[in-house]
Amino acid sequence: MPRRLLRRWARPAAGVALAIGLWVLLTQTGLLSSRDFPTVQAIAAALAAAAGPLAASLGATLESLLIGLAIASAAGVVLGLAVGSSVWADAATDGIVRMARPLPSLALIPIAILLAGLGTTMTAGLVAFAAFWPVFINTRYATRQVEPQLLDTGRALGFGRWGLVWRVVVPSVAPAAATGVRVAAGVATVVTISVELVAGTGGLGGYVMTAQQGGSTAAMYAGIVVGGFVGWLLSYGVGAVGRTTLRWDTAAGGRAVPP
Amino acid sequence: MTGPAPRVLPALLAAEPGGGRRRVARRRLGLRSAGWLGVLAVAVAWQLAALALHRPTLPTFTTALAAVGQVVTGPALTADILPSLARTLIAFAIAGAAGVIVGLTLGYVRSLGDYAVAVIDFLRSVPAPLLIPLAIVLLGLGTPMVVAVVAAAAVWPVLINAFDAARRTEPLYLDTARSCGIRGVSLLRIVLLPAALPMVLAGLRIALSTCLAVLVVAEMLGASSGIGYFIQGAQQTFQIPQTYAGIIVLAGVGWLFDTIFLLAEHRLLRWEAAVARGRHA
Repeated sequence: MPRRLLRRWARPAAGVALAIGLWVLLTQTGLLSSRDFPTVQAIAAALAAAAGPLAASLGATLESLLIGLAIASAAGVVLGLAVGSSVWADAATDGIVRMARPLPSLALIPIAILLAGLGTTMTAGLVAFAAFWPVFINTRYATRQVEPQLLDTGRALGFGRWGLVWRVVVPSVAPAAATGVRVAAGVATVVTISVELVAGTGGLGGYVMTAQQGGSTAAMYAGIVVGGFVGWLLSYGVGAVGRTTLRWDTAAGGRAVPP
Repeated sequence: MTGPAPRVLPALLAAEPGGGRRRVARRRLGLRSAGWLGVLAVAVAWQLAALALHRPTLPTFTTALAAVGQVVTGPALTADILPSLARTLIAFAIAGAAGVIVGLTLGYVRSLGDYAVAVIDFLRSVPAPLLIPLAIVLLGLGTPMVVAVVAAAAVWPVLINAFDAARRTEPLYLDTARSCGIRGVSLLRIVLLPAALPMVLAGLRIALSTCLAVLVVAEMLGASSGIGYFIQGAQQTFQIPQTYAGIIVLAGVGWLFDTIFLLAEHRLLRWEAAVARGRHA
């Protein structure tokens, strides 16, 4: 047990301390220029000074992000189940999925601006489009792979069509769908922030961009650190929700970095 | 890297039951044409929507396709498309090499990996586009900035997969190699890399699509050439068909890269399929 404690907690914590220590060392001694690489105190001070504006930017970012992610998850699961249940629907969408997969959603930002203008609707819409694919692809695939024996057993127990979907298909598909949502959360974060940077619509991306253009490097770093925490929390949050609600599947949610 | 593993009964395993072969083939043909019909349906839907709405922001599918022809034969080919390809490949090479070397090392030296886990977890959680302003501060506008951001975004899937694969390397392989006196860099090259190759390649494939995605944004914000710059410029000057054409070109590049990658992967992993067959037989 102590060995496990050492490996899971003590060493990673020491690693973080070492990384911060290295940063302090390099910036205090002037090995890295303080103009481009502010000290830890300067970044902390910028964080504290801009707490209000930062929180407001973060709120704007999370709003578009979560709306888009919610739409993408709902649509991806429902359509994935529907398409995956039919061999022909599956085949008919296969070509579309293959074309959509290499299409970088971030390139669609100018088109999204043309079609929907600037604002939350545009950002959330593009996030929903981009985040839809991982959920849809995973759900569709898992639906195709549902154990035929389970379906036969369900039929033998007298489940109707919807009973079969609700009691057999959904529980078998849920872990894969949860993994899709986890991937989608990462996609949604990247898309939201990219839109904010390219379209200049505020949010965390806008905050960092403004800080850079205004020459306040420490504030820029503060924004990036906040972005890292948000990305981390989102990924772990979705993973944790998956793990607690899908207890029947040990792989559900998965860990970001394996032991 | 390894000699040809014995091919045990591959023909037998691949054969389908004789009686239904023709029916299976016909069904497969039907399903494949259904795939093309789906794509065709999207194209037709686009065309009809554009004709019905008649809005300047939504050109017809055929107009967009015609613009693709102009773009790939016009000055944009050398001014924007080729620079983008070069940046992508350079960044991909950097990210791939760094990800494989660091990932395998951290995965193999367990204590080192334990120390690095939390730091890696945080760094890779930083949304890549947020690094663009930072890269502009450090490197200014232009190709070095774009390449740095793209490489920084694409390194994570490779690094994580290599790390994971190295940690799960069959201990028997490592023990065998050590007892043969293989150590250090040769151990990495002869045992760890081949054993980790399937996962490393999976990570590299994700990295390749990450490269293109981040490339576009970086070029929109901090370059004066490239497909991203082209798309952004076309939109801002209201050359709407060109905007769509740029996106279609980019999707084509993504598809091309992925196809080439899959072919290379198939070639590199032939031995692995043979080993798997041997195991099953």
